[in-house]
Amino acid sequence: MSTTAPTPSFDLNRDIGDFSYPESHKFDAGAGLSERTIDYICDVKGEDDWIRAFRKKALQVFLSKPLPTHWASRDLETINFDKIRYYLSSGQQPKRTWNEVPDDIKQTFERLGIPENERKFLAGVEAQFDSEAAYSNIKEAVGKQGVIFVGSTEGLMKHPEIFRKFFGKVIPTGDNKFSALNSAVFSGGSFIYVPPGVKVKHPLQAYFRINAENFGQFERTLIIADEGSEVTYMEGCTAPKFGTATLHSAVVELVALKGAKIEYITVQNWSANVFNLVTKRAMAEEEAVVKWIDCNIGSRLTMKYPGVVLKGRKARGEVLSIALANDGQHQDTGAKMIHAADETTSNIISKSISIGQGRSSYRGMVHIPKHLSGCKNNTECDALLINTNSRTDTYPAITVRGNRNSVQHEASVSKVSADQIFYMQQRGLSEAEAMSLSVNGFVNDLTRQFPMEYSVELKRLIDLEMEGSVG
Amino acid sequence: MNTLDIRNLSVRVAGNEILKNFSLTIPKGEVHAIMGPNGTGKSTLAKALAGHEDYEITGGDVLLDGTSILELEPDERSRSGLFMAFQYPSEIPGVSIANFIRAALQARLAEGEELEATKYYKRLYEKMDLLSIDRKFTARSVNEGFSGGEKKRCEILQLAMLEPKYAILDETDSGLDIDALKVVAHGVNTLRSQNMGVLLITHYQRLLNYIVPDRVHVMYDGRIVKSGPKELALELEANGYEWVRDHATATA
Amino acid sequence: MSSTLQAPATGATPASLEAAFARHLEECRQLPDWWLEMKRSAFERYRSLPMPSRKDQSWRFSRLRGLELDRFDFNSTTPAADHAGLIARSNLVSRTAGSMVFSDDRLIHNQPVAAELAAQGVVWEPIADALQQHRELLQEYFMAQDPRLGSEKFAALHTAFVNAGCLLYIPKGVEVELPFIAYHWASVAGGTVLPHTLVIAEESARLTLVDAFFAADRSAPHFACGFNHIFAGDNAEVQYYSLQDWSRRAVGFQINSLVTGRDARIKSLGINTGCSHFRGEHQSLLQGAGSHVDMFSLSVASGEQEMDQRTLQRHLAPNATSDLLFKNALSDASRTIFSGLIEVAEAAQQTDAYQTNRNLLLSPEAEANSLPGLEIHANDVKCSHGATTGQIDESEMFYMLSRGIPLNKARELLVFGFFEEVIGNIDEDEMADNVRALIERKFHEDASAQ
Repeated sequence: MSTTAPTPSFDLNRDIGDFSYPESHKFDAGAGLSERTIDYICDVKGEDDWIRAFRKKALQVFLSKPLPTHWASRDLETINFDKIRYYLSSGQQPKRTWNEVPDDIKQTFERLGIPENERKFLAGVEAQFDSEAAYSNIKEAVGKQGVIFVGSTEGLMKHPEIFRKFFGKVIPTGDNKFSALNSAVFSGGSFIYVPPGVKVKHPLQAYFRINAENFGQFERTLIIADEGSEVTYMEGCTAPKFGTATLHSAVVELVALKGAKIEYITVQNWSANVFNLVTKRAMAEEEAVVKWIDCNIGSRLTMKYPGVVLKGRKARGEVLSIALANDGQHQDTGAKMIHAADETTSNIISKSISIGQGRSSYRGMVHIPKHLSGCKNNTECDALLINTNSRTDTYPAITVRGNRNSVQHEASVSKVSADQIFYMQQRGLSEAEAMSLSVNGFVNDLTRQFPMEYSVELKRLIDLEMEGSVG
Repeated sequence: MNTLDIRNLSVRVAGNEILKNFSLTIPKGEVHAIMGPNGTGKSTLAKALAGHEDYEITGGDVLLDGTSILELEPDERSRSGLFMAFQYPSEIPGVSIANFIRAALQARLAEGEELEATKYYKRLYEKMDLLSIDRKFTARSVNEGFSGGEKKRCEILQLAMLEPKYAILDETDSGLDIDALKVVAHGVNTLRSQNMGVLLITHYQRLLNYIVPDRVHVMYDGRIVKSGPKELALELEANGYEWVRDHATATA
Repeated sequence: MSSTLQAPATGATPASLEAAFARHLEECRQLPDWWLEMKRSAFERYRSLPMPSRKDQSWRFSRLRGLELDRFDFNSTTPAADHAGLIARSNLVSRTAGSMVFSDDRLIHNQPVAAELAAQGVVWEPIADALQQHRELLQEYFMAQDPRLGSEKFAALHTAFVNAGCLLYIPKGVEVELPFIAYHWASVAGGTVLPHTLVIAEESARLTLVDAFFAADRSAPHFACGFNHIFAGDNAEVQYYSLQDWSRRAVGFQINSLVTGRDARIKSLGINTGCSHFRGEHQSLLQGAGSHVDMFSLSVASGEQEMDQRTLQRHLAPNATSDLLFKNALSDASRTIFSGLIEVAEAAQQTDAYQTNRNLLLSPEAEANSLPGLEIHANDVKCSHGATTGQIDESEMFYMLSRGIPLNKARELLVFGFFEEVIGNIDEDEMADNVRALIERKFHEDASAQ
């Protein structure tokens, strides 16, 4: 009689992300970063002088800023900025229809297990292959509503009257070393403008991929939701595995004008050698709502603390995040809520799972200054530890002044109990299945708030990561 | 062969011998009750049969329809047809009852086979109706924030859905008020069939007013000291457990 | 912000401090060589360590004001005429197992332990005396725990200038019912006090000790830098209370270090009402399996006071538990900082650790900062922290008003209700009442100052 429990079957496995296609880059800025690199990027992209000046100034800021290792992981010191290639492009123009997308890129989507029906979604998608948008099509209906959905360069060049006003304003170049780096070498990403009152029904999506060794991705995204409009944006990433470290450093700025709603969803599953150092921040005007949904499964080190500056009365900010840290991974994530108007509210829910020697950290900042009244923040951080050598940290910072403001912060650390596992085994589930069910239960109240296809994908990814962590 | 056959089972917990040469045979279609004072090894028997790792088998065997289950993992024992209703069921936050039972049924299917969702829900609702359980129940997380009675009803619902060959009900009556006890007893009575053997473990005779057993066994100090028809329970109730103790020491 | 510290990197110790140290050495020249040597190397360390900066994680949010130490006289002495008055005011607890009164770091009164306790081996002595007779104890335990929460430089300063304080040693199995108490007075305006308390409880010993930090003139500036170290041996039980009511213009440090043996239990409870800038550091080292530590604190801040408290619950052994409750009530333009960390080492499985910070804002100008942290390296643990900041509950207020209680009284009742969760943990009823009275006095002083 066999005593091995049947292994659960998964539709996705780790190897699927571990492939690459032959590289053929028409434009390559070479390794290392200097003013010449920036000139090269500007020339290739044919950018205006003000953009060139913006990039060069950012380069100086990047060079002048130290790594934030007085509070962050020293692992950052292993990044060799001279070996990174800051710009690569196949030189293709963004595509308009699915039929025009090169076959090998379609093949990539197929191997990632993106279901057939979801490819229809890609009709409204900015899909990035290497640093230039390889595929871009504004869904007909969205275009008719007056929505602008373009790449970063196109946005700045063709619609400066809309995008220049907010570009680099929510996240100034000097916010941190990596926002400065992005400002110097950004390419790709999405610039979106939603006109007043327009409610975009379908989520806009983007798939990012890294597909070149020693090649960093520096997407720049700016979403402006004009008064009373609504938009949901989804960003998912997978990356092939390489032997040397890869750097991903995006900047995402969201602007929600009066009464607007923006939901920004990320499922991050970079391969385990990627440094993912991302700055994401939103500005919410009066009665606007911004919600960040952030899932971090992959990468070697992720540092990401999505924030909302609550600028207008009754604005609301939310961060819902899930982090999963396996062996060799450090998910250093969190949230920032800067209250800057009366009666603003914010909510942070963070759940992390550490497996094996994985480490997950939560860093949070909640700031309510003295002239405000009636502001509220609620923060919950729960950490689940799977193995005896798993690690978790929580480092929130909360400052409250003013009148009738209230802040609540709660954090807990727990493990899956042996009794729970035995109970489930008695119902016929294998130890691994029981563990997976427990872990999914731990994040369930959060994933329930995600769009269906993302919560399904997330469950698969969690199951995948749980493999081999028990028994 | 249609029996759960416990043969000379000895079990040690944290170095102490709790079950000593314990033997009992439960045929399919019968309900057997084990009664006995606290600390006599009743719950040890249940946990050991289910395969809890803290319970070390030092001798004997357990045959389910003629095949030993002692080498099996707890989940394999479950899938081979053994069900245990826990005295203290665990809470599983975030996992709904519907999803939990579904996962347990899915685990019983061959690889590649998928449980059909509509059929599953139809059957689940039937069983719930049968057991007078509100359908809203299924969306709640397993046992989380349940009252004692709700937890026990949830156990009986799982019993109904998993259709085991043998069910062990470990102190299913403990902590229940009379109304909750009636609901649980009604459930067990409804599920009684020729295809299932039941072992009721209880400290109180009260339960046996509602679930009438075929046989009653009195347990003391890790073994069965007296067996008889259902009337034995009444005799025990009338004489108290001291009577068992005296009886046990007299026959020892 | 004229008084904001312009921290020199290293070495630039003010000339007046150098001179003060020379005078200090001269004054205690009759003390043993090893002690003086320790002081010299501590001063050397003080010179070499950098002044903390707000960029240090352990000083985040601190204003770091008032640390220009050349403002203070490190050799201050209380006029003898004032002694009797201060001794009379040292009346927090009436029945004690032993008490000492220090003023400006000089012992002015000493009530030794009863002969019966002395016969059992209980040691209760001023540190200066203990240097002669209990050298081994001091060499083993004096400043034996390095500060881990940011005040390394001030530990060096303390060791260099320390002169006042007590050694309490309770031998194996001895249980002392009555509390010991040490009063430290800051008397001379512009003076300096560096109180030290060292408690060693051997296996299964039991004791209670109170440190009271008072100012003769509650509006005169002074500098305080106190350390207390408590070592609870296996199964020992220690209750430690500290009451910090330095003057309203004082700059004060109080560094509290607790170490547990197997199954030891320590309760530490601190009340803070004084200082313009107060820095409290509280570190618990749970190195004995099955040990338990309770840490309570209540800070009542008003005016422009800053109360900056940092805590560490460091679990090194399995099955140990710790519980922390730090409450701050803030009026006017006061500020508080609570920064807490629970650290659970890999070996510390079955740890149960909690940390709670509650801030009550009584004014829109007040600022509460909260940094509750966890660092967990073991998986079989139950750890949680909670931090809340808010105002008086409006529905509770309305309820009281609807019963006819006037606004001011209702507010006071609710605020004192908030304090009670900490004060209620003081087992000495007399002291608890005195603490309530002290806080009430501060409240009324603040009210009449407006």
